Amino acid sequence: MADIIVSILVSGLVLGSLYALMASGLSMVWTTLGIFNFAHGVSMTVGAYVAYEIAQRLGPDLWVGYSILLALVVMAAVGAAFEYLLIRPFYGRDDMVLVTIMTTLAGLTFLENGVLTIWGPRLKQLEPLIPGNISYGLVNISRQELIIVLVAPVILLALFLVLNHTQIGRAIRAVGQNQKSAQLIGIPVTRMFLVSFGLAAALAGLAGMLLAGVRLMTPTMGADPLMKALIVVIFGGLGSIGGSIGAAYVIGFLEAILIFTVGIYWTPSMLFLLMVLVLLFRPQGLFGAKNPSSL
Amino acid sequence: MINRPLAIAAALLLLLLLPLVLQGPYIRHLFILAFLFAIVAASWDLTLGLTGLFNFGHIAFFGLGVYTAGILTTQAGVDPWLVIPIAGIVAALAAFVVAAPTLRLRGIYVVLVTFAFSQLCLQVVMSQGDLTGGAGGIVRVPSLRISDYNFARDQRLGYYYVSLVLSLACIAALVAIARSPLGKTARAVRDNPEYAAARGIDQMRIRLTMLVISAIPTGIAGALYCIYFRVAAPEVFSFSTSTLILTMLLVGGAGSIVGPAVAAVGIVMISEYLEQFPDLKATKHMLLAVGIILVLRFFPGGLAQISANLFARSAKTVGATPERAP
Amino acid sequence: MAAILLDVGHVTKRFGAFVAVNDVTFDVREGEVLGIAGPNGSGKSTLFNILTGIPFGRDAGEIHFRGQSVGRLKPFEIARLGLVRTFQKDSDFKTLSAFENVMMGTWCCGPISASQKRDLASAALDKVGFALERIHLTAGDLSVFDRKRLMIASALVSSPHLLMLDEPASGLTKPEIDALRDLLLELNASGLTIVVIEHVLPLLMAVAQRLIVLNEGRILSQGDPQAVVRDERVISAYLGGQASHAHAS
Ligand SMILES: Nc1ncnc2c1ncn2[C@@H]1O[C@H](COP(=O)(O)OP(=O)(O)OP(=O)(O)O)[C@@H](O)[C@H]1O
Ligand SMILES: [Mg+2]
Repeated sequence: MADIIVSILVSGLVLGSLYALMASGLSMVWTTLGIFNFAHGVSMTVGAYVAYEIAQRLGPDLWVGYSILLALVVMAAVGAAFEYLLIRPFYGRDDMVLVTIMTTLAGLTFLENGVLTIWGPRLKQLEPLIPGNISYGLVNISRQELIIVLVAPVILLALFLVLNHTQIGRAIRAVGQNQKSAQLIGIPVTRMFLVSFGLAAALAGLAGMLLAGVRLMTPTMGADPLMKALIVVIFGGLGSIGGSIGAAYVIGFLEAILIFTVGIYWTPSMLFLLMVLVLLFRPQGLFGAKNPSSL
Repeated sequence: MINRPLAIAAALLLLLLLPLVLQGPYIRHLFILAFLFAIVAASWDLTLGLTGLFNFGHIAFFGLGVYTAGILTTQAGVDPWLVIPIAGIVAALAAFVVAAPTLRLRGIYVVLVTFAFSQLCLQVVMSQGDLTGGAGGIVRVPSLRISDYNFARDQRLGYYYVSLVLSLACIAALVAIARSPLGKTARAVRDNPEYAAARGIDQMRIRLTMLVISAIPTGIAGALYCIYFRVAAPEVFSFSTSTLILTMLLVGGAGSIVGPAVAAVGIVMISEYLEQFPDLKATKHMLLAVGIILVLRFFPGGLAQISANLFARSAKTVGATPERAP
Repeated sequence: MAAILLDVGHVTKRFGAFVAVNDVTFDVREGEVLGIAGPNGSGKSTLFNILTGIPFGRDAGEIHFRGQSVGRLKPFEIARLGLVRTFQKDSDFKTLSAFENVMMGTWCCGPISASQKRDLASAALDKVGFALERIHLTAGDLSVFDRKRLMIASALVSSPHLLMLDEPASGLTKPEIDALRDLLLELNASGLTIVVIEHVLPLLMAVAQRLIVLNEGRILSQGDPQAVVRDERVISAYLGGQASHAHAS
């Protein structure tokens, strides 16, 4: 029994960390730009494949960590380019929320099929940062998963510090609270858009690169995490990054428990049902502020 | 000068007589697909375009129609003809289910829940292999027949007319709803929800009604799609199907109902043409995506806007004084 | 004394720590025109919002309309009871025609036939002086005055018990304001009870039989309009915020 509980805890922690990395970016783009980025999941895929490609080019002798670092830079650029092409042209339209949902959906289709065209449908794998497993008492975890569990809080803490205690972070949050006033006090609003999209893409990319060391990569590997990130932000309330991160871990554990109790097939349905219940009783999300998001 | 009723009558006649000219199963196949997707695009437009309900799970109603037909015909031996209306009812029931959590929500949350619902349907289909055949889907769905006549015979002549008639009937019904007081109220809710509430309009009820109405033709189209192809495969729930139909909706002009239906014909042709080259499958989807973005960027009103301008101009030139550009 | 139509007791609305409407109590009597004035941001529109539930309800207090508590009703239900409002910001159904805009008001009419609805809409358009040749134009293309009149016409269609107007004169020219004044007087003469928020004092003084002045969410003064505008507190409240609305007097 104890070993089961431990393994549920471990896998919940791993899942929660991944979802937190995903959902925080999604939520950040929503709070700053008021845009829901459907392509956020595919950023994860692209990140993993870019890291894979760089690793291939650099050769097997070099530690995969360097490829990941380089790939993160590429992802930031991809995110910024995405904003420039798919979001900026529609900025200020009164149906912007709806239009950008469709452009980001289109972006998702484009990137997913782009990955398929470039790298093909065959499964690929990225080297783990550190290979091997760790067993400690009842805990049995691969080193890569351990890295995920440890790295995610560090990254999220860094994100929190950046957003709250640096000038650029405060600027991003100011833009999120009130674009017009932000503009008035001299914050380069458009540049903040680029920055938050770049940052979000890099975060999602990182999740993809880490995951690719545990599971095999496919062009559609981002779909399921996007789905989970959706549920997470609904639980957490889109507007709050902190709420999303908290919800990510809740969902991670819940999923681990559900997989164990009702099985992998019914887990998505149960999560959906829970989401529906949450929405019926707290339309603003579990941790969200009182006012439901209006447009 | 372009006369609208005359143009419509001519187009209908053309569609009725087209099989005389278009011999060969492949070209007819394209039209059958186009008719079916026209239904889906036009009915999605009823919620997304006309009512302004951010419904991004419409594809679920289509998929449910497909699987209702597939399951009932192969496992319960229900007659394919009967299954078509049943699929409409099943889709309508599903619309009630989605509506429960969504109607109180606004904006982006509606998008998330409806989208999640469509993904959920896919996951349920994949996991309930006994019933749905899982990833492999359901095969050997019986074809439409009248006594001994299989509708796939004579180069699919039967399917051509069945899908044409269903499509025309559904689209005519959707247009009638859009023009009815209900449709106008839906537009009022979309244009200004607060003002609508101040005039005694029960938005939840309007949204629910529209969602259920839009699900019915979609489920029907799904059933016919399944019976025509004689398979039910999980791909119908996929993102690419959604994107394809969204392209039709946008190219045709959101909120115009007829526009998306017309656009469906063109887009099915292009899409199926590209389908011939298996290597270009991914490229096809990339092109559709680029198409969506270009339309949103440069022709936000879609075909409907372009044609409205055309009709408006021709109407104006009838008057005595041609207006000068400002 | 006439019967009380709307009874508002101790209503309060907060936005975070800020109290936009603070413990406001007043009533509206059948057949009167009640004016509401007050500096910008004094909570006038918020008061309308919480009375009609659009877009939000009150945090505290009691609201009774024709003897019935409306506190738990949905906005559309309140409207159907006959408490109908207009908005300060330009509001219309921009893709519908002028006539269709007014037809939307018939949702408050109860079960009547389509032709009766059309007749009511025509009558309402006629009453507000909307030009017949423009009824098929799209609302989004109309002038400010036309859209304001549409908003009033769509409220009148259902013969409401109480009409609440939020700054109907803002953005109008002098002759348009005069036309509006005549319309309000005429509507009131035919028995309609009206509450009107207005910055344009001459209009308010011409139509209102009673006046309430709000300041910082509280009722500063109420009663006979002539007396209220001479009230020291009202004068100083307005002088305090003079810069932002020089047009007010
Ligand atoms: N939804 C809201 N959220 C936060 N604050 C609000 C909201 N609505 C109104 N307020 C604040 O409440 C106060 C009262 O606003 P209200 O619109 O009622 O003023 P008003 O008297 O109608 O002013 P005006 O004459 O300018 O129309 C203002 O300070 C305003 O900023
Ligand atoms: Mg106001």
